[in-house]
Amino acid sequence: MNLNTDMTVNRITDEIWEIPISEKPGMLVPARIYATKGILQTMDSGVFDQVTNVACLPGISRYALCMPDGHWGYGFPIGGVAAFSVDEGVISPGGVGYDINCGMRLIRTDLTLADVEPHLERLMTELFRKVPAGVGASGFVRLSGEEFGRVMTHGAKWCVERGYGWHRDLARMEEGGCIEGADPSVVTDHAIKRGINQLGTLGSGNHYLEVQVVSNEQIFDPVTAAALGITGNEQIVVMVHCGSRGFGHQVASDYLKRFEKAIRHYGITVKDQQLACAPFRSPEGQEYFSAMNCAANTAFANRQVITHQIREAFATVFGQYAESLGMELVYDVAHNIAKVERYPEGDLVVHRKGATRAFGPGSPELPEEFRQTGQPVICGGSMETGSYLLVGTDQAVRDTFGSTMHGAGRTMSRAQAKKTFRGAELQQQMKQRGILVKAVSMSGLAEEAGLAYKNISEVVESVDRAGITKKVAELRPIGNIKG
Amino acid sequence: MAWTFRFLAEIALADIGFEAEGESVEEVFHGATQAVLETMATPSTVSGGWERAIERSDLDPSALLFDWLSEVVYWKDAAGVVYREAPLTLTREGDVWLLRARLIGAPVDQQTQELHADVKGVTKHLYELTQAGDRWKVRVVLDV
Repeated sequence: MNLNTDMTVNRITDEIWEIPISEKPGMLVPARIYATKGILQTMDSGVFDQVTNVACLPGISRYALCMPDGHWGYGFPIGGVAAFSVDEGVISPGGVGYDINCGMRLIRTDLTLADVEPHLERLMTELFRKVPAGVGASGFVRLSGEEFGRVMTHGAKWCVERGYGWHRDLARMEEGGCIEGADPSVVTDHAIKRGINQLGTLGSGNHYLEVQVVSNEQIFDPVTAAALGITGNEQIVVMVHCGSRGFGHQVASDYLKRFEKAIRHYGITVKDQQLACAPFRSPEGQEYFSAMNCAANTAFANRQVITHQIREAFATVFGQYAESLGMELVYDVAHNIAKVERYPEGDLVVHRKGATRAFGPGSPELPEEFRQTGQPVICGGSMETGSYLLVGTDQAVRDTFGSTMHGAGRTMSRAQAKKTFRGAELQQQMKQRGILVKAVSMSGLAEEAGLAYKNISEVVESVDRAGITKKVAELRPIGNIKG
Repeated sequence: MAWTFRFLAEIALADIGFEAEGESVEEVFHGATQAVLETMATPSTVSGGWERAIERSDLDPSALLFDWLSEVVYWKDAAGVVYREAPLTLTREGDVWLLRARLIGAPVDQQTQELHADVKGVTKHLYELTQAGDRWKVRVVLDV
């Protein structure tokens, strides 16, 4: 088998591949990659190198994992999952990423393609106006430092209290949109100043807001789909992908710097500077965890304010209240985060970097409404191809620390994509195919061309066949906003 | 001026990697700074009006460059600006490297500026400032 590595990679099943600990000095556990053979063969060398670096970190439990959308990141690969003992293990900002609680949100509607198509241009213009995107963008919410502190501790709950959402939204978010243990006193003023004006903004890169359609033939599990509010019949849904913006980026930057000193202090050696870490129970580890939770809550709030703006835009264009348009939240889920979760080994700090929590129906952590279906998992594809709604499984909880993929995963670097594609041409071609794109940056649009990504359907097949998530529906784009 | 930079197509797929080089450490600072500015916006489309003077020192020029580039990224969000230029001087006083720089730019304006990527952070992944013969070189990966 031709792989972009010289390491030995053993087949466990058709969708699980294992790199034994003999392949790199210092590996404490094997590395496991979830992928079909075809996807494994396209994975870049960085995946193999980085997932085995993660396998060397102190206190790691069972395996260092990489999901099928995995690709070269920094420190951890994107798609990386690793769990560490709370007592013997570490926490690493590089295992979470700069965009803390970058995540996905899906909103359903009662509208159909026939309702929306005649108004699509106006709808996308209104969404583009109401949801600021792109480099340095600021939002409409103006906050005092004290009020921003409440955003850090209350997350999406703060939004609902302020009228930016409905109370029932909260039950459809990971952790109810508010993670406990957020302590603003461990966040720098630098981080606050960087992010205080950015609530309700999308950012750039692979972040987007997308209007999508669900056809009957794209529903794989009608019972679960219906339970989640997905009815097909050319139904319109809206997907949002973004995170904690400059605030979270600065929290990550501040603590990465601090952890460079911490690893020396605690005598930890790492294979990559970006894997800087500290014992979870250490003062540095606990303070990063609290600061990270502040950023995670801010990300939930950011997506909630964006949801409010989306509902307002739809209400303006269709002349009805969002509630009467059936604009209920399907789910909101993080894919860059570290959380303490209980497994047979005990309490573990599970790092998911470009990987999604995927708890099955049996998980006591899930609210009542997902006890039959399992937790919704939202996976964004490229802007040209489509996205998926899936649900978590009890097998994921057993095999992958309740984790699965988060998106398509890149196969081409941004620099290469910019050389290969032209943003304006791409925008025109997509329009001809029925996808209306509004973008702040044409070069940014070129970087996000569909051909720069893996085939999401094959990526989804990998996790579906492996049993760690189950397909519910495929979502086809008709309108996209990019920063 | 003999500094250069080039974006790297072969590393860090989802991020932006570049190499900058020059005949002195100061020239590497110029090249790397320009690469970060151009990652965020086309400088020639940005007017002036916003300015900030920054002075930093460190025993380690590699750490100093990392902190400086992080500062460039920080003010993009904190002040909501993109940059036209960032003139700088780097001097050495004993063991200490001293950077004196100015960030010159303008508030983000989607109508008049050619905007690119919203950089999240400067990473330490593959980060390295090296000297080979009479050339200095740095490799940087930006998270975007």
